[in-house]
Amino acid sequence: MKLTHSFVSPGPAEVVWEALLDPERVAPCLPGATLTSVEGRTFSGEVKVKLGPVQLLYRGTGEFVDVDPEQRRAVLKASGKDARGNGTASATVTFQVGDTVEVETDLAITGRPAQLGRGLISEVSGKLVGQFAECLAGTLGSGDPDEVAQQQHLRVVPDEPIDLIDTAGVPVLKRALPVAGAALAVVLFVVLRRRRHR
Amino acid sequence: MIPAEFKYLFPSSVDEAVRMLAEEGEDAKVLAGGQSLVPVLRMRLAAPTALIDLGGLTELTGVRDDGDSLLIGAMTTHYEVQRDHLVQDHALLLKLVTDTVADPQVRHRGTFGGALAHADPAGDLLAPALALDAVMVIAGPGGRREVPAAEFFVDYFTTALAPDEILVDVRVPKYTGWSAHYEKLNRVAQAWSIVAVAAAVQVRDGSIAAARVGLTNVGAGPVRAVDVESALVGQEASADVISAAALRASSGDSYKDNLARVLTGRALTAAVAG
Amino acid sequence: MTATAEPEIGKARLRKEDARLITGQTRWTDNLQLTGMLHMAVLRSPVAHARITNIDVSRATAMPGVAVVFTGEDFAAEQGSLPCAWPITEDMKSPAAPALAVDRVNFAGEAVALVIADSAYHAADALAEIDVDYDELPVVLDMEEALLDNDLVHEDIGTNKCATWIFDSAEAGSGTDVEDEISAAEVVVERTFRQQRLIPAFMEPRSVVVDSTAGMFTVWSATQIPHILRWMLSAVTGISESKLRVIAPDVGGGFGGKLQVTPEELLCLLVARRMNRPVKWTETRTESMLSAHHGRDQIQKITLAARRDGTVTGLKVELLADMGAYLRLVTPGVPILGAFMFNAIYKFAAYRFVCTNVFTNKVPTDAYRGAGRPEATFAIERMMDELAVELDMDPMKLRELNWIKHEEFPFTSVAGLTYDSGNYEAATARAMELFDYEALREEQARRRADGSAVQLGIGISTYTEMCGLAPSRVLGALRYGAGGWETASIRMLPTGKVEVITGTSPHGQGHETVWSQIVADKLGVPFEDVEVLHGDTATSHKGMDSYGSRSLAVGGTALVQAADKVLAKARTLAAHMMECDEADVEFASGSFSVRGTSTARSLGDVVLAAHVAHDLPEGMEPGMDADATYDPDNFSYPHGTHLCAAEVDTETGMVKIVRYVAVDDVGTVMNPLIVDGQVHGGLAQGIAQALYEEATHDEMGTLTSATFADYLLPCAADLPSFITDRTTTPATSNPLGAKGVGEAGTIASTPAVVNSVLDAVRHLGVRDIEMPMSPERVWTALQGRGDPGAGDVAAGGLGSIDAQGGQS
Repeated sequence: MKLTHSFVSPGPAEVVWEALLDPERVAPCLPGATLTSVEGRTFSGEVKVKLGPVQLLYRGTGEFVDVDPEQRRAVLKASGKDARGNGTASATVTFQVGDTVEVETDLAITGRPAQLGRGLISEVSGKLVGQFAECLAGTLGSGDPDEVAQQQHLRVVPDEPIDLIDTAGVPVLKRALPVAGAALAVVLFVVLRRRRHR
Repeated sequence: MIPAEFKYLFPSSVDEAVRMLAEEGEDAKVLAGGQSLVPVLRMRLAAPTALIDLGGLTELTGVRDDGDSLLIGAMTTHYEVQRDHLVQDHALLLKLVTDTVADPQVRHRGTFGGALAHADPAGDLLAPALALDAVMVIAGPGGRREVPAAEFFVDYFTTALAPDEILVDVRVPKYTGWSAHYEKLNRVAQAWSIVAVAAAVQVRDGSIAAARVGLTNVGAGPVRAVDVESALVGQEASADVISAAALRASSGDSYKDNLARVLTGRALTAAVAG
Repeated sequence: MTATAEPEIGKARLRKEDARLITGQTRWTDNLQLTGMLHMAVLRSPVAHARITNIDVSRATAMPGVAVVFTGEDFAAEQGSLPCAWPITEDMKSPAAPALAVDRVNFAGEAVALVIADSAYHAADALAEIDVDYDELPVVLDMEEALLDNDLVHEDIGTNKCATWIFDSAEAGSGTDVEDEISAAEVVVERTFRQQRLIPAFMEPRSVVVDSTAGMFTVWSATQIPHILRWMLSAVTGISESKLRVIAPDVGGGFGGKLQVTPEELLCLLVARRMNRPVKWTETRTESMLSAHHGRDQIQKITLAARRDGTVTGLKVELLADMGAYLRLVTPGVPILGAFMFNAIYKFAAYRFVCTNVFTNKVPTDAYRGAGRPEATFAIERMMDELAVELDMDPMKLRELNWIKHEEFPFTSVAGLTYDSGNYEAATARAMELFDYEALREEQARRRADGSAVQLGIGISTYTEMCGLAPSRVLGALRYGAGGWETASIRMLPTGKVEVITGTSPHGQGHETVWSQIVADKLGVPFEDVEVLHGDTATSHKGMDSYGSRSLAVGGTALVQAADKVLAKARTLAAHMMECDEADVEFASGSFSVRGTSTARSLGDVVLAAHVAHDLPEGMEPGMDADATYDPDNFSYPHGTHLCAAEVDTETGMVKIVRYVAVDDVGTVMNPLIVDGQVHGGLAQGIAQALYEEATHDEMGTLTSATFADYLLPCAADLPSFITDRTTTPATSNPLGAKGVGEAGTIASTPAVVNSVLDAVRHLGVRDIEMPMSPERVWTALQGRGDPGAGDVAAGGLGSIDAQGGQS
């Protein structure tokens, strides 16, 4: 599943680009994420996701396959497994920083969360990026973070129709799918952490 | 059922439950009927360290008359709500909605407060709670506080309850003499709504004195259709007025937008007809 | 022949099984507790296609209560390949099917490791600690794409095409050439239908217990096929068949879903042998949906050639059938069972059937209630409605014009089967009467004229099916690996009670009741005195088990033959006891008498005499038991007319069935209550395919409908009160006259429902709606939009709503 997110850069492009790669400033913007180790271009982290009764703990690794400071473009591959064997999550994420930050995510969720449907994948990952942007804006912002956040126009543009809310009546578990968000969090987290040890 | 191991706690008072919740920390879960939590445990999509079962807290069951409002104990089962005369007389919408919740087995086990705290946007009870301006009475380590429904439902499965808090009562203002209807579209009897509309109206001398409309499963939480309500109030209780108002439930052209409009019209028509 | 005052056959007896089943006084496989028993839990692949690069079991092995963790490597040398008994063509591609994946996984849900622990809890806990590294491969999900062979499910066989099976009436000599008929036709109608993938959804999840005490392996399994299972387990493991005993205790439903030799049955056996301790495995519902075989899943391209007067001259069927990742027991043969049924009750001049079986990275498909025949019936009954629209004819009149008339039986169909009996006119007339067809057509016209929001449609399904599987020679001709006979034994006990042993294996149908009724009538003994033993290879050492509406038509006939043998021997002994000529002995109401005298001996007396053997005729063996094995020489052909009236709410897309009439001819009825139950349950399942059920996958190949919250089953509240009746033309192929009723409701109802929905909205410009016809699909079709796709997309779009109370 491909997801495209885009938000107005909460500051000058070069500042945002640097910030995206500066964990000190943006790591706290990702709730539930913890870095466990960094070795060269490979990184490990955990993302704990709680949504309603569902609790998942994804342990993941990631690696930059491309960082282009000229174009302010970064491609990252990350994958994780739920600690209780509930399946895997992996993503290839491309960031492009300009007046807007464009995030393209190719996301693959397997196992139990995916078996229960994908109802919230785009919704939750969209929200996650939104929260991330909002937080980032606050951290970077020269002005009032709320004001900056107001300017963002988060949109979720799936490249195919995505079952946001299934007509089957949105079974209870179906919407309890923060996994996509988790994968994205792993990815973003790794993006953010990379800089520290470079 | 083969869940991961957990500690099972059975408090005998709300205070004890709150204390246990504080002691067990954020990985504990409150069990309030279990009709949503137990399936998640069975599938091992959650492995709480402790379950704090509120099933023994008789102080949280039953419906009380509290002057201008009803106080519904959070552990009152759907079955009890359905059959309660106070609810029938003063919050008819709630009774009609509860009648449609899942199946009889679930209604005997599941609780009113449990459903609200679970905050499943397809859950039937969120929309009427919002539409009827219910107020959540919450107990925590610092005592009790009250949160209106409009602030209680935050997001998918997310409420204003802090991890160390428990929903104990729901205060529902009295809507004595109002008529109501819940129009629910679901594919099979035990399935969740695709969309549903909860409507309550107060009709006086052929005109609509007041109206409350809540939508189920059209977003991350329940939705109050305020535009619909304002288009009704003070108008004649006629088919034309209702049709025009229902169109304001949604303006998009997706299937669910369409359902929001169609079902709002049907819910209002049935409610007005009494 | 009938002995008791009131015949048992035809009596609406309550089922003798039910008291124990509905009060929990029975023993399911999972209830078994053996001393020292270990519990098996299965780790399943979360990915649909991958190489397994590493499995680390060290942490799992160290978990509390864990005895051992096995991976595919541990059993690679002894697990062999799960059997496929139906190589439909000589060149069929049949990939190796390991029970436990060794180095590759080919569907999400495939078993990759086993935890063996002292409790089910410990076993489940340790699963999470097994660390598997997958090197993911491209996932093949779509059949048409699969046939391009760009990505392969099984690299070693070089193609995703499993086999192509063809029947052509010109080649077979049973009809003319279909291409000639199409080019000469005045009207040609071509349509493509999708038979969505379904999940059998039996009530009792699968469960296996294996005990290996003293070199004897006892396998309890929630299976439909204990006999076939024993044979196949022996063939795969090399364990002597005489050292294997398979027991199917009470089994809670199957619908074909337990007509299987499962990976888990084999693995439990291998583990029990390795550990030399009893082992149990019981699946969860989600595990069942992820790994037990699925059903249906075809793309059907159908062409009808006809004359303007409505005479159909040719039928061409081009199928793609999804095998899933492996060939299970009869996977490739399921669509072939349908090959003979597309022509249904009609007299078509030409018929050609081409089925291409395709591998994908999905759960294997196999038999599911009807197995090939519902797919065929759906296609032809949908097509007859399409042709009726094309010709502007009443759909029932079109059918009548083309069907076989009652005086034409026996009739050899264009597919080469000989239909022995039937009366389509009678069943149809009765159905039309019960349905009040004309009145409903008037109501429909009124609503169309009014532009009513709720439109009415009428759907017809005039079906037949082939049951009583099966003549062994036919199975041989179809390259099936076994015979289709059935066996029965009757043990006359010295007290006059009767034990019946059947080779069929009931799992909810009520055989104990019906077999008792048959024996009570045949032998003149009380119904209560008959005990039916089944499902244990130690008591019934041979049998071909239960599926394909075969038990009564084939197994019941064996039972009648065994009873005849008992009576024949008893008659000889009675004559000896009464000192008369055997020709003068009459048998009635359980008693032998000498014609024209008052001399009589009850069957009980005769049985006792045989048992004590004090005074037997010269050469007669003691005892009064008999065995019979019956191999049918033809299938049986139930048929019927089903009529469905459905309301379609054009504002919401919701479909409501308002009247459903089923008039079935299932031959002679043994127990009308059981027949009604079979029809009702069958209707529910067929209606469910039309409206509710669908196995969906995401683009990774993960099953996204793996719980009953997502895979929708209807309950009584969702279904109308069915109006059922019967017409009867006894089958001539068996002495009971029975045709079989296990699948009729399922086969007939799906097209009736779909036809009714389309009939309700066709005047609004809707030509087709894919199954299941969810409200969203119906509504979307009414908007003139394309199909919203599997999974029913209903993307948000409610941003315009004034979102208070939590919409952030």
